[in-house]
Amino acid sequence: MAHITINQYLQQVYDAIDNHDGSFCAELLSFKHPHVANPRLQLASPEEKCQQLLEPPYDEMVAAHLRCTYAVSNHDFVEAYKFQTALPVMFSVTLDLRIFANSAEQQLQKKGKGQPGEMLEKAAEQLMSCFRVCASDNRAGIEDSKKWGMMFLSNQLFKIYFKINKLHLCKPLIRAIDSSNLKNDYSPAQKVTYKYYVGRKAMFDSDFKPAEEFLSYAFHHCHGSSQKNKRMILIYLLPVKMLLGHMPTHQLLRKYDLMQFADVTKSVSEGNLLLLNEALSKHETFFIRCGIFLILEKLKIITYRNLFKKVYLLLRTHQLPLDAFLVSLKMMQLDDVDIDEVQCILANLIYMGHIKGYISHQHQKLVVSKQNPFPPLSSVS
Amino acid sequence: YLMSGQASHPQANGNMGNFSSGDGQVHENPEWEKARQALASINKSQSSAKTAQAGQFQPAVTDSAAIQQQQQQQPQQYYPWYQQTQQHYPGYTYPYNYYYPVGPPPPVPGMEDQSTGYPSQSQPPPPATPQQPQSPTTSEKPPPPPPPPIPPPPNSQYPPPPSQNAYSANNSMQYPHGDPNQMQAYNHSQGRPNYGQGFQAQHTYQPSQNTSQQPGQYVPGLGRGEANKNKNQKQGQQLWHRMKQAPGTSSVKFNIHKRPYQVQCSSMSNQSFPPGEQPSGLNPTPSSPSSASAAPGGAQTRPQDWPQAMKEYVQRCFTACETEEDKDRTEKVLKEVLQDRLKDGSAYTIDWTHEPLPELKVKQSRWESVASQRSSDGSISRGGSAVVASPRGRGGAHRLGHYRNIFSQRSPSSSSSRSSSRSPSPSHGRNRDRSNQRHRRSDSGSQSDSSISSDLRPQLSRRSQRGGRGRGNDRDRGRGGGVRGRGRGGKANRGRRNMDDSNPAVGKKRKGGNAGLDFHDPNREAKKQSRAARFHKQLRSEPLVLSINSLDLPDGTQEGLSWEDCPIVGTCQDITKSYLRLTCAPDPSTVRPVHVLRKSLQAVKIHWKTHHDYTYACEQMKSIRQDLTVQGVRTDFTVEVYECHARIALEKGDHEEFNQCQTQLKALYKDNPSENIGEFTAYRLLYYIFTKNSGDLTTELVYLTPALRADVCVAHALALRAAWALGNYRRFFKLYKEAPRMASYLIDKFVERERKVALRAIAKTFRPDLPVQYVQSNLGFSCLDSCMAFLTGLGVTFYPCDPQKIDCKTSTAALAAS
Repeated sequence: MAHITINQYLQQVYDAIDNHDGSFCAELLSFKHPHVANPRLQLASPEEKCQQLLEPPYDEMVAAHLRCTYAVSNHDFVEAYKFQTALPVMFSVTLDLRIFANSAEQQLQKKGKGQPGEMLEKAAEQLMSCFRVCASDNRAGIEDSKKWGMMFLSNQLFKIYFKINKLHLCKPLIRAIDSSNLKNDYSPAQKVTYKYYVGRKAMFDSDFKPAEEFLSYAFHHCHGSSQKNKRMILIYLLPVKMLLGHMPTHQLLRKYDLMQFADVTKSVSEGNLLLLNEALSKHETFFIRCGIFLILEKLKIITYRNLFKKVYLLLRTHQLPLDAFLVSLKMMQLDDVDIDEVQCILANLIYMGHIKGYISHQHQKLVVSKQNPFPPLSSVS
Repeated sequence: YLMSGQASHPQANGNMGNFSSGDGQVHENPEWEKARQALASINKSQSSAKTAQAGQFQPAVTDSAAIQQQQQQQPQQYYPWYQQTQQHYPGYTYPYNYYYPVGPPPPVPGMEDQSTGYPSQSQPPPPATPQQPQSPTTSEKPPPPPPPPIPPPPNSQYPPPPSQNAYSANNSMQYPHGDPNQMQAYNHSQGRPNYGQGFQAQHTYQPSQNTSQQPGQYVPGLGRGEANKNKNQKQGQQLWHRMKQAPGTSSVKFNIHKRPYQVQCSSMSNQSFPPGEQPSGLNPTPSSPSSASAAPGGAQTRPQDWPQAMKEYVQRCFTACETEEDKDRTEKVLKEVLQDRLKDGSAYTIDWTHEPLPELKVKQSRWESVASQRSSDGSISRGGSAVVASPRGRGGAHRLGHYRNIFSQRSPSSSSSRSSSRSPSPSHGRNRDRSNQRHRRSDSGSQSDSSISSDLRPQLSRRSQRGGRGRGNDRDRGRGGGVRGRGRGGKANRGRRNMDDSNPAVGKKRKGGNAGLDFHDPNREAKKQSRAARFHKQLRSEPLVLSINSLDLPDGTQEGLSWEDCPIVGTCQDITKSYLRLTCAPDPSTVRPVHVLRKSLQAVKIHWKTHHDYTYACEQMKSIRQDLTVQGVRTDFTVEVYECHARIALEKGDHEEFNQCQTQLKALYKDNPSENIGEFTAYRLLYYIFTKNSGDLTTELVYLTPALRADVCVAHALALRAAWALGNYRRFFKLYKEAPRMASYLIDKFVERERKVALRAIAKTFRPDLPVQYVQSNLGFSCLDSCMAFLTGLGVTFYPCDPQKIDCKTSTAALAAS
């Protein structure tokens, strides 16, 4: 395979198309296939050959692919291409497209050229046009409808949109998939990917309950051997879970090499604000790069709650002087805190339902409910 | 004939001898080009015959031209002679030459030289039509025709009396020049063009032209000729590149040379022959012995012997053409057909008057392929397209590919080189249509596997055909291959297709014999169309060329011009200038250079401080920005301008301008670090808070360097962000009050929003009451009144007994509702 001539290669492609052998065809067009290393296929202008052997639109696709092998062999990633139809083929091509757009992007960035995200946006446009084609395929029967390509495409688009921070563009995709009657019948792999992104999106929108649902689904259905993917899911699932009061075990963190969360977990459950601040700043880069720093920051609220709960448990009364909370915060080395801020923090906790009670401004006391003043986190929000 | 030509030449030419060598190279293989020319000339003659006669051109003639003509007359004597000889070949001789390199061995460069004999005489001149005048026809008609855009008058074909040649020669030249592309096409189609040779030939040819001009005959034409020559060479080179791979074309290339002669004949013929006979021009009499010897095929194919009906048929074919392309194609087709017919003698038996015109559109590729491979198959059938079916192998397919490309490239040049006198006549058009239909029907009939004729049910049959090849629509696919069994596989089907387009009469079915790469499907076009229709998109009308030609793109060279690439320096000295959106390239006289812009900026700042006229300031700033952009100035001063404008816009709450400036500043800071970088980074952070864009916020955080974080403004913004994220209104508003520089302008944008959120929490938390004082201090109100206004605006209720105390319980409901 590695040494076939261009004609043999094209013949194979033709036969594959002929025999409806989509997966083989996709292989032939994928960059994971060994043929890409074949110098005989790395042509600068394969259009003519392809045109002779294949009919449109395949000639264009294959030509673009070969052109790409040529470009890649020259370490030149700034290429993009078009394509249409034939789902498996499209899948591999789009995947390559995205990867190349990525590489191209990096290359451009290194050279300081171009707007950030430009290449990716172009790629996204292409993908979007494919998505529309797929979504609007109403004629074909259900079993070979192009709609089967929707989820794959939307997953690819998610990847791009997340990369370029255009999360709002995900909405129409999600709506389209949700309204699709096929949404439960896609392949598990696609569904896992899809849920992963939808869950992330929900998390960024602060819809933590659905986020937990999607991400949990993704985590549980993710293939056991893809540790890397599971880890990626966990990176987002953990903060969500913690916000909802479920703390990960040490073993889990160790298993997936996510020990950055260890201190965070510990400090949150202990109400140790000091430790939390340390942990966050220590791994700030990691968290920021994962895009979860702002989420983890919200854990402070949980930490406040846990801290104040300790105060309550210590004082064993339902009427808690605000000064007591101030002292506890000062203990956490928050030196610039004043009584107003204590009231503010308490107000937020009460407002969010983490504390059942009220503040008497006149008496400067927090009056908590006699029953279950600190309801479990999972029941809140 | 080459030899003989040479021999004769010296005598005739006398002084011209020197040039002969140059010419000779070119002249070797007359076959195709000649035929083409002949055909073309017929065509022209027809169209122009009625209107234009030789006389028509006379007026334009100049004295000098006349003189030249006279000079030319000498050489002219020879023309007729070899015209005839050469004209033998057009159509038919070709095969012989091609296959049996008998006479003129396949053009070997060396040989070519020998052949030159003739050419030198003809010398004809430079190509372009316009030059016709110079080579006026015979002495009898001294006045050379002016450069008529119209090709030689109609009847030209006739190998006329010697005298006339000069004139026509010019005419003829125009072809070669104009059509280099065409030539290429030919070569291609023939499959093994020896490209290199062809190229050379062309090259050499031109030089010869030059030499020919020296004698002075063509003086006027010289400039033109040269120009043409250049063009030719260029084209020749193109050709070369393209054709490299296909050796063996050599035979074709030399044809160019000969054209001139032919044309000459034709031009002459106008006068001497009645229109009806025009076609005969195609087959000029081959009488000269030399020619006969050279071209073995000559005997069979003597033009004179052509049946009149056949000549008329040729004429008909051309008149049916509507476009230049059609004509080109027709030429090729006819060449093929006539050669075959003449060869096997059927030309004399066929009822030409009823012979269908060749079908052009659908089958062009087919023609090509046929042309490329001479069918050795004597049985010429008369069916459909009147083309002999020839076995086509892979080679054919390849060539086809070439052809597609060439063709599209060629068309422009050919159309330009040929003059336009042929106008399509409606009746002809109809004719052709009819014949097309006929062809199609017969073709479809031959497709034994699709029982329905494509004409009647094109959709259906097409689909069924497709089914076998995997291109079927969904239904077909679902059924696993549609009408045709899939077992046979694509190859068999493809083989079948070949059969289909070959003449039905031939009828031998080869299944899968030439499997593989052959794509001649008569219905292919139709299929494509239907497919295109299905997908609502235009078929590719041009050869596939990927739009991403740009391997060099990464350098950014192709990314479209940026202003840096073409800097201009302004000369305008005005301090102020109103802003106009540029719609065209900037004029330096309206652009201010940097030193003027500095003054402008100062002026704007002062004006702003004193008048606070934002409209004016904004316009001035924009025009300054524009001038900077246009001149590609990206310096500290640029940064200063943008910072200034950003601040002014911020102060006035002009989001749009502010964001534009921010975007620019972000890019500018990369190269021009400013002391204000922290300030504007902070603004950006704050703006993200305003838009609640946590994604961009995170991204921004990634790029914050420790140094930047230490910046007062950035630190403030970060602290504010943290407070905001946790709903810590106390801290948030404390920071709001401490906002450095112009940050508070930005915070103002979302301060109300945050107050509302905070107030909801407050109302829910405090019981039973809360002094307004607390709200005022915690939510950053500067005075009690503004706080009260805010509270009442939200429907907060107060205790009747003490209006300074908020009734939190009832207010909660109101706030939740708001």
